Amino acid sequence: MILYLVLVVGLIIAMLAGPYFLGRRRVSRAVNEPYECGIVPVGSAQYRVPIPFYLFAIFFVIFDLEAVFLYAWSVAVKEVGWAGFIEALVFIVILLVALLYLWRMGALDWRTTRQKRDRARVQPR
Amino acid sequence: MNDIGTSAVQSTWLLNVVNVVAILVFVVGSAAFTTWVERRMLGIWQDRYGPNRVGPFGVLQVLADMIKLLWKEDWVPSFADKFVFVVAPTIAMFVVVAAFAVVPVAPGIGVVDLNVGLLFFLAMTSLGVYAVMFGAYASDNKYALLGGLRAAAQMVSYEVFMGLSLMGVVMLTGTFNLREIVHAQEDGWFFIPQFIGMVIFFIAGIAESHRTPFDLPEAEHELTAGFHTEYSGMKFGMFFIGEYVSVLLTAAMMTVLFFGGWLGPTWGFLAYIPPVFWFLLKAGILVLLMILIRGSLPRPRYDQLMAFGWKAMLPLAMVNLLITAVVVLL
Amino acid sequence: MCFHQAVPRDRRSNAINNKELKIGVEMQATAFNILFYFTAAVAVLSSIIMITRYNAVHALLYLIVSSLSMAIIFYLLGAPFAATLEVIIYAGAIMILFVFVVMMLNLGQKAVEQEKLWLQPKVWILPSVLVFALLFVLLGAMQGTGVSQQVNLVSAKQVGITLFGPYLLVVELASFLLLAGLIGAYHIARSPDARAGGTARQHDIDQNVDRVGGNQEQGGQA
Repeated sequence: MILYLVLVVGLIIAMLAGPYFLGRRRVSRAVNEPYECGIVPVGSAQYRVPIPFYLFAIFFVIFDLEAVFLYAWSVAVKEVGWAGFIEALVFIVILLVALLYLWRMGALDWRTTRQKRDRARVQPR
Repeated sequence: MNDIGTSAVQSTWLLNVVNVVAILVFVVGSAAFTTWVERRMLGIWQDRYGPNRVGPFGVLQVLADMIKLLWKEDWVPSFADKFVFVVAPTIAMFVVVAAFAVVPVAPGIGVVDLNVGLLFFLAMTSLGVYAVMFGAYASDNKYALLGGLRAAAQMVSYEVFMGLSLMGVVMLTGTFNLREIVHAQEDGWFFIPQFIGMVIFFIAGIAESHRTPFDLPEAEHELTAGFHTEYSGMKFGMFFIGEYVSVLLTAAMMTVLFFGGWLGPTWGFLAYIPPVFWFLLKAGILVLLMILIRGSLPRPRYDQLMAFGWKAMLPLAMVNLLITAVVVLL
Repeated sequence: MCFHQAVPRDRRSNAINNKELKIGVEMQATAFNILFYFTAAVAVLSSIIMITRYNAVHALLYLIVSSLSMAIIFYLLGAPFAATLEVIIYAGAIMILFVFVVMMLNLGQKAVEQEKLWLQPKVWILPSVLVFALLFVLLGAMQGTGVSQQVNLVSAKQVGITLFGPYLLVVELASFLLLAGLIGAYHIARSPDARAGGTARQHDIDQNVDRVGGNQEQGGQA
């Protein structure tokens, strides 16, 4: 295992170092500009990112924690029997309710208002 | 440790080294080879030529590409966060290749036999997000940042139920050890009792390696190349190889968990074919299936992608888990 | 070199003696010690580097390394389940949230300069002294208990049996906690006009789009 990981790291270092020695360097006017399909960049790329991404990171942490509890359950499902099943059922239902709540509140909805409205206009017919 | 163990170890020490080196070479080599297979197959399915100039059927295209990447300029953008910029592709490649360590290819072939092999695989895939996020952050490019954020949000969304979808198999076997899971399938492969789990895992696996139809992070019509817009040369190559190793990893894990790993038919002359052949055959078919999916499916909208993950796949994975538990307990 | 030679043995013994991770042979004990102290050193070093970084993303990178080496230590001490959880939860989920937050604030060079200002010696000297005092207390408490060679393995199955047996109520409480966290996070993070759908940012864009496309649609609806 350790040998394998050492070899993987070695391979990666070789892949990084190879072009360093083999590749040639060029200097030209546009090399040190961010690539935006040939358009001259305006402003900086350090803007603040939309909140939903952060929100989903939180959802992910919480559901990942839940998944970990379920990992522990599923490996011992035979040993803990029906008592454990009922416990896990309650556990899952509580989190499904949370998911349902978020769903109802529209937290899982990434559509823009325009997309929502377009959808609403199409459906009634 | 018992005596048998010690003596066996003494004689097989060299064999272990050969084993490890062979697996590493094979994984990286076949990832490179898969790039050719994919281009060629896409060519066939989309009624055009694939690479067909270098060598017979263009097989040597892989070699040509590699030489090209190696001789490219080793360029780190002057505006980038240089340290993180180099670390990101390293993570991309390291985690997927490291995850291959737990894949049991055949009896006696495999890097390590961990008791928590399945969890090790999940742990390594969960680290894959960093490659995307750090790559996006370090590039200091608007497209890269947007693509990276999309990729990260997508990967974490699909990761949640990726683990859950595999827990059905764990329930049936009562272990995280991948070799034991393969042995447990001698009576029947798990894709029948765990069909839902398999489908969910397959979808999550494709999304984790962000390939079409889940390749919105690098959707070229809106985000140039997504998080690796600023990457070139071998550093891009590492993201690229990482993606293909990830494809192979998904195929290998599906083979191990749902299609009986190295187990093959035991009647007639078929019993004499070495088990590694069956493993490669199954994994190869799954890789082809993933290429076919890429060749045939359109790309969804981002909100559809997220809604599919959270509103369909996640509850389905949980329900699948509960049903499996009931069946196991009855 | 004994380090490298001992490794295949170790893993072989794992394969043969799945149930117990007994490290009896001298060579394995050394390999174990070397591995343990190596990862411990990596953990401590990366933590120190982490708190001295000015750039938040670099600091996070070292924090990830630190928690990965913690995972290896957990594994060496006979808790493979805890080890993988350390990676899945800490390195693979919570740190990702941190990275998201750092990227969300995305202050760039300004933040680095501010961090430099904050990390003046007069700021960190007193906490460090206190921490060192704590360390000595801890060392005193640990007197005589070295690294235990006799590792007893806690398998994932045992963890599951304990969690879903005697600690039944705790798991349910955890689920309530997660529920509260989920809903709390949503309500804190949602923007005032989230009810209308989308974020403030998206909303702005949509408003513009609506304004542009509005005329045609009005015509269509009328």
